[in-house]
Amino acid sequence: MSLPKRILKETERLMADSPPGITAAPKDDNLRHFDVTVAGPGQSPYEGGIFKLELFLPEEYPMNPPKVRFLTRIYHPNIDKLGRICLDILKDKWSPALQIRTVLLSIQALLGAPNPDDPLANDVAQHWKENEKAAIETAREWTRKYAN
Amino acid sequence: MDMSNHPLLALATDEPPPFPASYPQLQRLDRSIVCPICKEPFSAPVSIACGHSFCSHCIRGSMEVTKKCPVCHESVSEGSIRRNRALEEITDAWDEARPSLIKLSQPPAGPSRKRPPPQPISNDSSLNSLPHLKRRRDSGSRSQSPTKLSTNNHNEAVEFFGSSEEEETSPRENDTEELTEHDEGTCPICSAKMPIVSIPMHIERGCPPIKAAKKVNGSGNQKADWKKVFAGAGKGREKDVEMKRIVKPNYHLSSEKDLRNILSEHGLVTTGDKETLSARVQQWIILFNANLDTSHPKSLSALRAQLTEAEASRKRDKERGKEELGKELETKEGMAKYAKERRGEFERLRKEIMERDKRRAGAAVDTPIEVD
Repeated sequence: MSLPKRILKETERLMADSPPGITAAPKDDNLRHFDVTVAGPGQSPYEGGIFKLELFLPEEYPMNPPKVRFLTRIYHPNIDKLGRICLDILKDKWSPALQIRTVLLSIQALLGAPNPDDPLANDVAQHWKENEKAAIETAREWTRKYAN
Repeated sequence: MDMSNHPLLALATDEPPPFPASYPQLQRLDRSIVCPICKEPFSAPVSIACGHSFCSHCIRGSMEVTKKCPVCHESVSEGSIRRNRALEEITDAWDEARPSLIKLSQPPAGPSRKRPPPQPISNDSSLNSLPHLKRRRDSGSRSQSPTKLSTNNHNEAVEFFGSSEEEETSPRENDTEELTEHDEGTCPICSAKMPIVSIPMHIERGCPPIKAAKKVNGSGNQKADWKKVFAGAGKGREKDVEMKRIVKPNYHLSSEKDLRNILSEHGLVTTGDKETLSARVQQWIILFNANLDTSHPKSLSALRAQLTEAEASRKRDKERGKEELGKELETKEGMAKYAKERRGEFERLRKEIMERDKRRAGAAVDTPIEVD
């Protein structure tokens, strides 16, 4: 198996010194496939939740972005029910200068700052716009229910 | 989650040790010669229009995907790639100096694991081939002869660190050396002669017989030598040299034959379908052109080996991708998605099979295949 040195280095560094509230570890059988957990940021409806994600580094990484998906259900206007994430740096704003660490930090930041104006889950975004309080309450409830 | 014993990480990197936190300025220096793309010290560094620098190979690869600077997102074209000789020199010099500086930055008792000096020193000429060690020692106490100093370089090195200021104020002291970087030295491992500056890189590359290869094409070599003397004298000259950049073909317009021609011209395998050929040509051009942006070019055979290896690993990953697709199809959602994406293909196949079945029904040879 030949893995670019950059991936090895990133993995080592991620495991030795992971950002607060984030863990990432490669699967035993495939170093391109990571199990990730992200803690919901404080002062957000996701506070107290631990969200599981999977992250995959395609062959073209770092020229192409990693593929990331939530495995834990989450009520968020930019994350749909399949766990897909609407985040610019995972799409057109990706740059090979970014890395796994920056991606995961961005995802954590997205939890702290939902953006209903650029929705992926339309019904959630609608709810968010029409009745933010109620939407946040639902998000809290889902966090309690699923993200433990 | 302790993953330090991860089975696949056993083959991990031989990272050079970092500088201790008490030397933030050295840590900064260490970071500043790292390519933003591969996160390794620059190799064949180039700059682009916006002023950001990358390894030639990295930025060429990145531009195949998107024509934007990976750091500032400014639009850039491949034409703006310029070799950055100063950055290459800085990176090489830093690479050379780093082991010594690491040693100096550690507490005295700490064992250092970075690169031991290459081979026990056996004679004078090989000693001369280690200019970076020698110079450090010279500035510490220059009256002593280099031969004597080599026996206790550790202590001397500590002394040098203490007197670094002195060196800054009187850098000309180094002129007392008999040898300069441009004199010839002997590689302590393979005893090949080459300029002293290039010995450390030469050893790092596992002593490739670079000199011998170059001498074969006599006149071409001379030309290259002259070019070194008049470096940057004009772009026009570059065209005279036999190693010139490959111009990218238009992959959409080129036929398989065109691609095969390019490949065979460069002594590469010409098997595979058009997609494979295009990918191979594309990767080769990146490797080849990047190799022209450095003063330590690799041999063509090394480049070819690199290409083959990269292609093999891509192929392995593609096969793994198929397995993942298999997994995706195990879930209901995955199945629905897959079916939706391939609806057109399914329809076409279905029609084909039905028509074939009609024909076969006439001949009444085979049992029909059921399609749902």
